[in-house]
Amino acid sequence: MKIAKLGLILFAITVVAAGILGFANEKTAVLIEKVNEDANNESRQQVLPEADEFKELESNKLKEIQTSNPEVLDIYEGIKGGEVIGYTIKTGTNGYGGIVEVITGINKEEKIIEGVRLGNNNETPGLGALATEESFYGQYDKKPSEELEVVKSAPGETDILAITGATITSKAVTSGVNLASEVFAELDK
Amino acid sequence: MKKTDIIKNGLITDNPTLVQLIGMCPTLAVTTSAINGLAMGLATTVVLIGSNIVVSLIKKIIPDEIRIPSFIVVIATFVTLIGMILKAYFPDLDKTLGIFIPLIVVNCLILGRAEAFASKNKVSDSAIDGLAMGLGFAIALTVLGMIRELFGAGSIFGIDIFGANYQPALILILPPGAFFVLGLLIAGIEGLRNRKEAKLIEQEKAKEAKVE
Repeated sequence: MKIAKLGLILFAITVVAAGILGFANEKTAVLIEKVNEDANNESRQQVLPEADEFKELESNKLKEIQTSNPEVLDIYEGIKGGEVIGYTIKTGTNGYGGIVEVITGINKEEKIIEGVRLGNNNETPGLGALATEESFYGQYDKKPSEELEVVKSAPGETDILAITGATITSKAVTSGVNLASEVFAELDK
Repeated sequence: MKKTDIIKNGLITDNPTLVQLIGMCPTLAVTTSAINGLAMGLATTVVLIGSNIVVSLIKKIIPDEIRIPSFIVVIATFVTLIGMILKAYFPDLDKTLGIFIPLIVVNCLILGRAEAFASKNKVSDSAIDGLAMGLGFAIALTVLGMIRELFGAGSIFGIDIFGANYQPALILILPPGAFFVLGLLIAGIEGLRNRKEAKLIEQEKAKEAKVE
């Protein structure tokens, strides 16, 4: 009998907790959604500054790309004056601390990378996490949309200088960008 | 218990990180820089005050046998609630603190204080205990983060100290560095304490000698 009573009390506590959380969730879910959407829009705007608005790629097209490249997370068309001027492609490649989300903006006409930003990642603070600073991601700006390579010194035209002590992260970001370039080539056919 | 004693306990005598050695996982994991340590410390303080107050309020209705799961429910609720509020209303703060919030649930410092203090003391005392323990934790984490950041990255709170020519000792930012610095800090505190005690004993001996 006692165990039933204990269970009941614990149940009551969890019900109250769930009620509070449910109420809070109701109040915040919409706002959180909006904040996330704004943040995503902002990073899309950063990697493809010329676009006025962004439209999600048609879902069957995206699915087709994702079946052969499961690391592609989402694709948006950047639109200016009713015309598609480029794409933002979000990828999730494996880094040192799990998946590294990379958003790459590619200019359709010039076939160059307009910008690269990192999304969610768990890279080591002070090392891999340095990839979220401009000194690293700025390297991708205006690079041709083709296979880029990570080097440890003296970067050339299509090379990216690795972060000291964080080669894995540097490679993860670069493979995300390279994947975006491959997908772009497919889209641009 | 006197309020000043509660405060002194949390900050110094019973400092959660350096004396009680609880809450080690976040301590070791997030102190790669001073700002991370401070942020984690403050976020933990807020949760700790809240959970201490609630646990103290409901201590009479919770049977002894199920107190631990009940405390965990209270703590998890608080953490989730704070996470939601930060995400919805303070997105900027959430960017800095966001990754630490879920970690707080598994910080045994919170459960430890609920069990050792809040479940046995008045609400007001429990709130003060939460504040003092939280700040003690925050200070220890900030100092740890400062030392690791200074030698591991050449800066403090992101401000360059050693200049561009400094070759940072990366190991201090990597996980082993956390153990090194924490070990040295604890040794330092213990050393100070031992010296103080030795002094007290000497004084007493001197007194006894005089009496004789």
